[in-house]
Amino acid sequence: MQIWLIPAYILLILTGVFLLYLAFKTEDRRYIYLAVAFYVIFPVLITLKLPIDISPEARQLYDAVESLPDSSTVLLTFDYYPSTVAETEPMSRAALRHLFGKDCRVLTLTTVPLGGPSIAERVTREIAKEFGKVYGVDYANLGFKYNYVAVLKGMGNSIEAIYPADNSGTPLSEIPMMADIKNYNDIDFIFLVSDNGVVDYWISIVNAQYGIRVGSGVTAVMAPKFYAYIGSGQMTGLLGGMKGAAEYELLVHKPDTAVKGMTAQSLVHLFIILSVIAGNIVFLSGKRRRKRGAA
Amino acid sequence: MIVAFFFNPERSFVGGLESEVLSWVTIVGGFTLLLGVVSLVRVNYSAVKRKSEDWIFKLATLISVFVMAIPAILPKNVSSLFGRDVGSIYDWLFNYVDAPMMSTMFAMLAFYIASAAFRAFRARNAEATLLLVTATLVMLWRVPMGEIALKSIHANLPYLINTYIMNGANLAVQRGIIIGAALGAAAMSLRIMLGIERTYMGK
Repeated sequence: MQIWLIPAYILLILTGVFLLYLAFKTEDRRYIYLAVAFYVIFPVLITLKLPIDISPEARQLYDAVESLPDSSTVLLTFDYYPSTVAETEPMSRAALRHLFGKDCRVLTLTTVPLGGPSIAERVTREIAKEFGKVYGVDYANLGFKYNYVAVLKGMGNSIEAIYPADNSGTPLSEIPMMADIKNYNDIDFIFLVSDNGVVDYWISIVNAQYGIRVGSGVTAVMAPKFYAYIGSGQMTGLLGGMKGAAEYELLVHKPDTAVKGMTAQSLVHLFIILSVIAGNIVFLSGKRRRKRGAA
Repeated sequence: MIVAFFFNPERSFVGGLESEVLSWVTIVGGFTLLLGVVSLVRVNYSAVKRKSEDWIFKLATLISVFVMAIPAILPKNVSSLFGRDVGSIYDWLFNYVDAPMMSTMFAMLAFYIASAAFRAFRARNAEATLLLVTATLVMLWRVPMGEIALKSIHANLPYLINTYIMNGANLAVQRGIIIGAALGAAAMSLRIMLGIERTYMGK
């Protein structure tokens, strides 16, 4: 670590504390906004390398993918809107690197109409280029179809019946890799990346009814819910938020945007905790003062 | 769907029927999207025509809908700018206009959460204090700097949080919520199928 970063970060933290003091003194929340802006922008410009522990859930997901035989078929979903790409896209990128690195055939789709197909197309093509993978042979993008319950259920019978063509309009019958991928029986693992409630349906319809292992990467606010599925064995591994994405990036030995984002997220979390503590000290001392005044 | 669950989809009439019905559901769903677009255009067009309040924003909505939709619908064999492939107008607008705007809106949450934590997250009673302490521990556990801080108190503290808070209390509560919601959904479905619940029909 560069030595000069330490005083720079100490100065940054002290600036935040001073802005918090000003926010209390003037009761102007804009000082809080300014502090958050500092804590987000500065670490993005000057990144601090932090040690990141791998959670058991992220390790479980990595091991599940790692244990797949080479050339397995994996369904990777892009069930997220552009608003959450900071958390979810690094998961998709890391997952693709892991899957392509193992020579898996990757089938992508989305249950999100706004953005999902475009994000899947952009990210998959970019990572496929890194590994020299060919569209139609090593990977294919099915795109979006309306009504995810019907889509999830219908793919159990026939993928082609639900998706007659891929995202670009090419009939599935003309895509070589789809020749032996007819339904869930031909898929070895499902890797979900999602920012919405569709994960429950993948569990209750696809895992429960077809018995395919499902692992997922979700936003940080969603992650606590899915510990229940991990505990019951219905979900094989979980990545929670940007930290989960950073863990997976480290597991696939390719640190990327999520690892870089950990410094900013650490500082903002610490600042929020500091704000809560300071707010409570003021609240409790005010309460005591009022009590004393009343007595 | 319930009956079809018990039949082999490839070898039975009921299974084949299920497959057919599911295909039709997605087709009908596509038309409902079209209906939504038609409705949006009608409502906004009439507001613009009447120059009602905020008509300029409604005009912006209409322009946005057509600018995004028309190049995406036009056949890509006419020009590479049409369709939805990489390099098309739709793709460009999505990646460089729509996605950054949506990300910006979502990123604003960080500022509001920080401000709300500063103003509203108070230990007013025992329950609020418990929530506050748990939230603080989980927030620390979820970031590398926090993990370092927790480890400086006790090396096993991050592991204990994962085991007892996330895989303990949290898991138990989430499981209760999931089972409760599922039972509620099953009961509601039964009420609708038996004709007891008719509020969805406006009755």
